[in-house]
Amino acid sequence: MASQSDPHGSAFSAAELEFLAEDEMVEIVPNIRMDPLNLISGDFGPFRPQIATQVPLWLAVALKKRGKCTIRLPDWMSVEKLTQVLEAERDSARDFQPLPFHYVEIARLLFDHARDDIPDIYMVRSLIEDIKDVRFHKIGTGLEIISERTYAVKLLNLSAMEVNIVRPFVAKALETFYKLDSPEMIQDAERRPDARTQAPDRGPRRPLRPR
Amino acid sequence: MKIRSMKLREAHKSTGVASQSSILYDINGERLVTALASDTSICIHDAFLSSVSPKVLRNHRDGVTCLAISPNSTCLASGSIDHSVKLYKFPGGEFETNITRFTLPIRSLAFNKSGTMLAAAGDDEGIKLINTIDGSVARVLKGHRGSVTSLSFDPKGEYLASVDSVGTVIYWELHNSGIIAHNLKGLAPSTSSDNSVINVIQWSPDGEMLAVPGLKNDVVMYDRDTAEKLFTLRGDHVQPVCFLSWSPNGKYMATSGLDRQILIWNVDQKQDIDRQKFDERICCMAWKPNGNSLAFIDAMGKYGVWESPVPSSMKSPTEGTQSVKSNGVLFFDEDEQVPSASGSLSDMGEDSFDESEIASRKRLRQQSKYDDALDEDNDDELNFFPKAESHKKPRDDELNFFPKPESRKKPRKEKLDSAKEGLQNTMVIKGPKLQEAFQPGATPVQPGKRRFLCYNMLGSITSIDHDGYSHIEIDFHDTGSGPRVPAMTDYFGFTMASLNESGSVFANPRKGEKNMSTLMYRPFSSWANNSEWSMRFEEEEVRAVALGNSWVAAVTSLNFLRIFTEGGLQKHVLSLDGPVVTASGCGDELAVVTHSSSPLASSEQMLEFKVYNICSGTLSKKGKLPITPGSSLTWFGFSEEGQLSSFDSKGVLRVFTKQYGGSWLPLFSASRLKKPEENYWVAGLSASKLFCIVCKSPDTFPQVIPKPVLTLLDLSCPLASSDLGADNLENEFICNNIQLCQIQSRIDEMLASGQDTYSLDDEAFSVEAVQDRCILRLIASCCNGDKLVRATELVKLLSLEKSVRGAIKLVTALKLPNLAERFNLILEERLQKESMDTPFLSRATLNNCDTSFKADMSGKTSILPENSGKASIPPPVEPAIPATLEKFPANSFTKKTLQESVKAGKAKTDEKQAVKVESKATVNNSSESKNSVDIKHAGQTSKVGEGHRPSNPFAKSSNNQEKSMDKNAGQTSKVGEGHRPSNPFAKSSNNQEKSSLLDSLKKMKNDKTQQK
Repeated sequence: MASQSDPHGSAFSAAELEFLAEDEMVEIVPNIRMDPLNLISGDFGPFRPQIATQVPLWLAVALKKRGKCTIRLPDWMSVEKLTQVLEAERDSARDFQPLPFHYVEIARLLFDHARDDIPDIYMVRSLIEDIKDVRFHKIGTGLEIISERTYAVKLLNLSAMEVNIVRPFVAKALETFYKLDSPEMIQDAERRPDARTQAPDRGPRRPLRPR
Repeated sequence: MKIRSMKLREAHKSTGVASQSSILYDINGERLVTALASDTSICIHDAFLSSVSPKVLRNHRDGVTCLAISPNSTCLASGSIDHSVKLYKFPGGEFETNITRFTLPIRSLAFNKSGTMLAAAGDDEGIKLINTIDGSVARVLKGHRGSVTSLSFDPKGEYLASVDSVGTVIYWELHNSGIIAHNLKGLAPSTSSDNSVINVIQWSPDGEMLAVPGLKNDVVMYDRDTAEKLFTLRGDHVQPVCFLSWSPNGKYMATSGLDRQILIWNVDQKQDIDRQKFDERICCMAWKPNGNSLAFIDAMGKYGVWESPVPSSMKSPTEGTQSVKSNGVLFFDEDEQVPSASGSLSDMGEDSFDESEIASRKRLRQQSKYDDALDEDNDDELNFFPKAESHKKPRDDELNFFPKPESRKKPRKEKLDSAKEGLQNTMVIKGPKLQEAFQPGATPVQPGKRRFLCYNMLGSITSIDHDGYSHIEIDFHDTGSGPRVPAMTDYFGFTMASLNESGSVFANPRKGEKNMSTLMYRPFSSWANNSEWSMRFEEEEVRAVALGNSWVAAVTSLNFLRIFTEGGLQKHVLSLDGPVVTASGCGDELAVVTHSSSPLASSEQMLEFKVYNICSGTLSKKGKLPITPGSSLTWFGFSEEGQLSSFDSKGVLRVFTKQYGGSWLPLFSASRLKKPEENYWVAGLSASKLFCIVCKSPDTFPQVIPKPVLTLLDLSCPLASSDLGADNLENEFICNNIQLCQIQSRIDEMLASGQDTYSLDDEAFSVEAVQDRCILRLIASCCNGDKLVRATELVKLLSLEKSVRGAIKLVTALKLPNLAERFNLILEERLQKESMDTPFLSRATLNNCDTSFKADMSGKTSILPENSGKASIPPPVEPAIPATLEKFPANSFTKKTLQESVKAGKAKTDEKQAVKVESKATVNNSSESKNSVDIKHAGQTSKVGEGHRPSNPFAKSSNNQEKSMDKNAGQTSKVGEGHRPSNPFAKSSNNQEKSSLLDSLKKMKNDKTQQK
């Protein structure tokens, strides 16, 4: 995995994230009869035709590819739920709506492999795209507050993909600010006394804005 | 005038906006039909039994604005905002045809006196006169400016009167190709602003005058021929009259006004005699044709019946109805007018008359004219609706009476009787109806939608109607192994089907004279070409079909059970005891449910079942089939294990058991789940689960698309709420018991037939183990609830000796020395009995006990010091144990174990392990196997597994329990609460159950894999 990710460290590739997301559980309705599968990650099944069961996404996709099951759309992927989420995302400038950690990846996998199981697929797809855009925009504007006085950025309900994208930048930015802010840097500036007086001048620490 | 309170019942869900509603009685006053313009459904209510849920017709796509019933009550017409006029059979309510369409909403419908002509009108220009026989539009009458809101045929058949929303009344002359006889403008108030208020007109029953609501909150009567104003009824209405209805004899009139009251008028005296106020505007009223009551419905869809609106001191509103003379004349007139109907008047009606009736007719010579009138009435019915006889579902009244030949006679007899009594208020109360025949897993016909002919655990057969033929598809749930069956086109109109692995069978009811009832079988795979076959039935029709292992069964309307082989050989024809309700097959067994007698007055269907073994030609089971009072059977079939099961409309599942000489056990009750918004549509069941499709109310059956998904529900006995508070455990206990019983009976069967019972023994053993664990937990909760007697009873039910010891440990830990003592006694007795059986094994048994307790001991020894250390007072357990010991010195092994438990630690037991493991296999056999040799085998293998890990599941589970108990006990004693053993445990019981269950489950699984 490490060979695939970018050499500087923290970010996963999209494929890797998708791989991680494949462990999420989804509900399928098999159309075959099969004994339970005893796998390292757990026991799945038994599979009986027309009786819903929970399996990891990778297994669902594998079965789906062979035409052995239909995947039941997760609750949060219904049009009305997504519409609600989108509205809520647009309403509040700071808060993120709770969505599954891998929502982008799950949606993507389902769109790729189970398009016939999704009613109103165009609607669902465009809603998810919209939600993604709105959230990325929010993250972008939110990150603008990173400055010399920021020690941390708190982002609640962020999804894997979003974290993955902002992680390198945020980490680096904070690191840079930290470096610039550190006493060594200030020492190097040859204005030690001033710097010392300046340091308390920062005043009371500004509470972090809720993210 | 006195104040009464009328009880209104909701027939239709209102949107809160007042809208036009309709109500009408059928000819016998037995049924009420209601509709509301904001609701798409039509309800047929039982006029006598309001508790019976109405029959709902949902054929319209938009609100139903008007209803009309043919004079002989065999045909119902409805008009709707969706522009269509539909005809239904009555009283069955089966949709018959879309008789006409308009381009705008329909507002009014009316049948003529003979039912040959239907007038329909609405917002469209023109009134359509439709021939009900062939649906052709005879005439379109144009002349109204506004939407036509009410139509009324003159009882003498000369005129049609209509009124529109601007208040214009037109008399149309029917004979004269529909010219306008009179056009009276501005007679009635203008209502064009509000669709929920309509103008209404009605001819008096003698046809001499027409009642029209006037402009001055009154009712104005107009002359028949000259259309001159005769007189007005003016009284207590303070707002315009919106509905009026003549009593059947024309002496009285009911009017309702926008002022939300109903007035009853004596027309002769032109005076109001009674009135009633309501919360809502009454939109429609109907007099009972044969009684003194008035049905009404308000703008919110609530209906009610006003009993005796005409005071008993006055003449009845039905007295002198349909005076023989005028009616007789009228009918002959009608016949002349309608040549199409008179062609074949004489044939069919007379055929069904038997001798007695002819005699009665002779006696009624003086009323012969009336009889003739009735005969013609019936003949009309037969002629006008040739399709009526052939409708897909058997007609209600054909099924209502049995034996069948009476069905045609009886209504007629009633009519004659009522004629005899001069049509006084005769109320003919019929009992509850016999349930119609059905196929398990079929859904009702829905126009334009695919429906299930058969849905079972294997697959489904669906059908959709095109014009004249239907399209049938067979799908297997398991696409991996099921055969692929091409879709087929069905020209027979199959309504019944059944499906199994090897083939499918279809049948259709009789459709008139031409289309006979047909039975068709299609095998899915056969070595020969053309191996599908069909049978035709004359003079009888198929009511139910079933399929089994290379046989096909059909039950017909003559109560014949016909059995065919897979290849189509007619093998047997049996006669059944009563009309069939349903049939189901599985393997060699065929189960048939029939009516054993007419339902009880409390509307309990009396059903009985028989199970035939087709292969051996024997009757294997028979008996009554119980269902919940007031319900009907909705599903009947076999479980995966072959247990006979039934499901009724109240949501109770019953399974047949051999216990108590063959009885039905209720194993599931939908009401117990407390989800009133869900209906369960059963597809099958297994030993512990019910497979059903969950339908959201008010739907009671699933649609074909989207493909329904089965939901698994746990079976659970409808137990009484016990004082123990461990409902789940008690339920599990019963279910396990039933399962054990079933396995035992199967073992017996297999042994009897000399088969190997190895796998079943294994199964029995694991169920027994589960049951023991359940009992142990029940004992724990009994102890907590201080139900010590019950606990002792439970101990006696434990099947494994280890479990008894576990129980002793349990109660000891719970600090119930008394109980421990008793348990010891029980164990002692048990062992004695066993040692009597197998005396030579006694020593081994002794050894075995040690092993089984090793785990416990190790747990105990580690905990006990801790426990006593925490609690300053020594717990009463320790003194209690020696006490028991002393009492039973003879019981050497008990002594040993207990001593060990106190003194010795792991070391000692470890020493012994080698010996124990050796002896164990034999030992255990003594305790478990009383019956078969095979189980020894099983026992051995399992014991070898245990050899590796000395603790066995049971010991472990009890051990766990103790741990948590002891901890808890320690805690509470720290706090300083009393040492009552029950208190601390009560808290932890939940916790402990969970952990022990989890552990034991894991163990079980491991054991199993090891065994394999």
